[in-house]
Amino acid sequence: MTAANNGRALPRAGRALPWALVTPALGWTLLFFVLPFIAMGLSSLTAHEGSGFTVSNYSQFFTNPSYWQAMVNSLEVTAIVTVVSVLLAYPFAWILAEQVPERWQRLALMLAVLPFWTSYVVRSYSWLLVLAQNGVINRALTGIGVVAEPLQLANTRFATVTGFVHFFVMLLTLTIFANLKQLSPSYRKAAADLGAGPVRTFLHVILPLTLPGIMVGAFLTFVLCIGDYITPQILGGNNELLMPQLVMMQIGRRGDFPLASALSIILMAVVTIAYLACARWLKIERA
Amino acid sequence: MRRIVRIVSWLYALAVYGFIFLPVVVLVLFSLQSTSFPIPPFTGPSLRWYDVVLSDTRLTSALVNSLLVASISSLAAVTLGFLSAWGFARFVLPGSGLLRGLITLPLTVSYLIIGMGLLVLFNWAGVPKSLLAAGIGHVVINLPLCFAIIYSQMGDHQINIERAARDLGAPEWKVLLLITVPVMAPAIFAGFFLSMTFSWDEFVISFLLTRFDTTLPVEIWNLLRSGLNPKTNAVGSLVFAVSIVLVVLFELTLLRRRKA
Amino acid sequence: MSASSASRNPLSTLRSHLHAACAATALLLDAGSFAQAADLNALIWCDHSDPALLQPFEEANNVKVNVKEFEGTGAGLAIVEQSQPGDWDVMVIDSIDVPRGVEKGLFEPLPDDKLPLADMFPQVKMEGSTVVGGKRYGITEKFGYNTIGYNKTKVDPADMQSMAALTGDKYKGKVAIYDYYLPVIGMAALAIGKKTADLTEADLPALKDELLKMKANAKLVGEVTASQTALATGEVDILVGGGEWVTAGLAKENPALDFSIPKEGAVLWSQSLAMFKDSKNKDMALKFIQYIMSPEGQARLATSSCYWGMPANTKAALTDDQKKILRFDEQPGFLARAQAYPAPNADLDKKMQDMWTEMLQAK
Repeated sequence: MTAANNGRALPRAGRALPWALVTPALGWTLLFFVLPFIAMGLSSLTAHEGSGFTVSNYSQFFTNPSYWQAMVNSLEVTAIVTVVSVLLAYPFAWILAEQVPERWQRLALMLAVLPFWTSYVVRSYSWLLVLAQNGVINRALTGIGVVAEPLQLANTRFATVTGFVHFFVMLLTLTIFANLKQLSPSYRKAAADLGAGPVRTFLHVILPLTLPGIMVGAFLTFVLCIGDYITPQILGGNNELLMPQLVMMQIGRRGDFPLASALSIILMAVVTIAYLACARWLKIERA
Repeated sequence: MRRIVRIVSWLYALAVYGFIFLPVVVLVLFSLQSTSFPIPPFTGPSLRWYDVVLSDTRLTSALVNSLLVASISSLAAVTLGFLSAWGFARFVLPGSGLLRGLITLPLTVSYLIIGMGLLVLFNWAGVPKSLLAAGIGHVVINLPLCFAIIYSQMGDHQINIERAARDLGAPEWKVLLLITVPVMAPAIFAGFFLSMTFSWDEFVISFLLTRFDTTLPVEIWNLLRSGLNPKTNAVGSLVFAVSIVLVVLFELTLLRRRKA
Repeated sequence: MSASSASRNPLSTLRSHLHAACAATALLLDAGSFAQAADLNALIWCDHSDPALLQPFEEANNVKVNVKEFEGTGAGLAIVEQSQPGDWDVMVIDSIDVPRGVEKGLFEPLPDDKLPLADMFPQVKMEGSTVVGGKRYGITEKFGYNTIGYNKTKVDPADMQSMAALTGDKYKGKVAIYDYYLPVIGMAALAIGKKTADLTEADLPALKDELLKMKANAKLVGEVTASQTALATGEVDILVGGGEWVTAGLAKENPALDFSIPKEGAVLWSQSLAMFKDSKNKDMALKFIQYIMSPEGQARLATSSCYWGMPANTKAALTDDQKKILRFDEQPGFLARAQAYPAPNADLDKKMQDMWTEMLQAK
């Protein structure tokens, strides 16, 4: 570390230049990320109507079962989405990286993430069309006689999870694929030379080596999923509320910013706990 | 054994491709619907709803707004990200690890919370809602991304080229413009492109921070809430088409760079 | 933010610091929105965003109408509070909520003699709330009912004459609930024999029971589009809170959709236009209100792409077909049996919303 740093320190540059380089970004982050967060924290301690500081916004969350139920729902949905997406995406990424001929890989990967580029609001809406009572899936299923009555697919938690999984399978395929490609083939060869079968090679060599990539992807999935409003709002049919919906309801229906702030901070606290749990895999380092 | 793995692999991959493409195919197919409901039976093909979308000035101006916000905020994010990455990679700064952590911190926070915070702050400070306010939010989410990408690509290899230039007497700004930027171009470009993508598709921050001039995702949301019709399919398909063109352009420029 | 409200707030010190800190940004942002000062800025519900409604006015007066959609008076007033004085010129608001805006000192009185009051359905003028202290602050532009919307080929229309059908077993899983708490709570009140105007906190447990029974029968609770979609595509056969605003616009596509006013009655929704006191463009704002209230404006508003509704002006230039779809001629009978939205105070409103949240979370 010290040796490298010695090499980096520039004798001719004064102290001013490095600070001039990093200050704009730091200032931006302080002004438009840290300061808003403080403002939100203070706001969460005020009352919607009336004056003075109060913790009533927080106590509401913990005493009103329908409020914390939203957090329970959010955690359940996020956990299901994260696990299902990883389980679906890992084999897919592996097939792309191992089974598809090298020169087709880029194209195959491009195709796999193409729907990424549909607008995010529209993507959820498309799933509503697919899953509707008279939608494509139900028409097909009743048409070929698999089921007699159309299935209730839209407006359920299943629909919300499907919408989420669709997006995160693409995201995770990207991260896991990149991870698998970084593995040197020599590892596998070495494992084989030592007498390990393909299953053992996978379990003891490939999986541990790709775990960091999986964790990064899983964490991204967690953060993006738990904070998302659109997907449950369009696909869930309001048969249950998730945290972001509860937050938006306070703003949209009542303009109650203090309560919305408090709920956001609670949500943020949960994400922070998740972050700490995965922190060791999430370091950003220079190549 | 190998053959079985191969066959199962192909079937699995096909199934996942099917899952991934199902909503897109349905979206595009029913954008060509000639009647007012985007559900089976298919009554098209008809370009009726594309006509409606292209003559809707709110949608077209939202599209222009989105492009403006995305390009300007991405430019700001990539500039700030690049300068700070360079500063942190090349110089010893006290508390460097902590400060880098601070810059990347927004990556771990939901957009909803970033939007809420800015809304509360701007509200208190009396800053009106506008596209610029949404753009500020987009820089907040994209700056850490640009920083992380560029910082992670600043290897010792580039340091050596820079040092050679300095040894030859080049002033610092010349090193930056003539050496660092060109060498780092792929990372800078990747950061810019990713920022564009995220900003182009971002909903909740724009929703919370804009007034009547808004971005395309918010306008699509309004459209969606104003009634069910294939217009939403048409605008979604158009956005998809535009994005694909951009992705292909990006791929081509990247490939050309690689060959060069 | 006014000085008086700031001095009452414990965060005022912080706010003034923030104000200083963000002054540069604010200037910058103000510059961004400056260009729109000459336009007409309207806070509206989605039916006013239809280009077919706005374009004729924009062309005739050579003005650009900027619209911002919102739902619910609470949200609308919150947007106004977050804005600078003069940012907005006109607003659409529930007729019963006009006094809330007046209390906050937001609205400008409207000149009675320049508005077609004589042509309006007398029951929807709602002067108990649109006129405050002898001055008119709102004028009803459109109305309709939150009642039972249904598909007449799938359900027995006779059943739709009683709200008991909504909580009975016969249509279990075939019901959607419109996701807006006030009208549906109003319907629940009618179902248990209460008047919407008399609701108090003591009624909440009984109302909650009724709501939970509805929820147990429901497949989804949806906003305007989701509930329209569900009814129109056959996902459900009955929409609690539906009415002409759902069925009329879809009549061309799905003529089987209809609505009934059951024997318990229905909830009357009524939206008003109000002008802001701080508007910088009051002449144009009045012109806009006059346009919306004119026979042509009324017809376009009534048949807007977002949702249809009855025009408040009896002279609205609707075609016979449109009148038939809206059941124009049956209005006197409907109006006689309809009750206004519940109008809770802030405290009861919060409790009603929490009750609604609980209903959404119920399995």
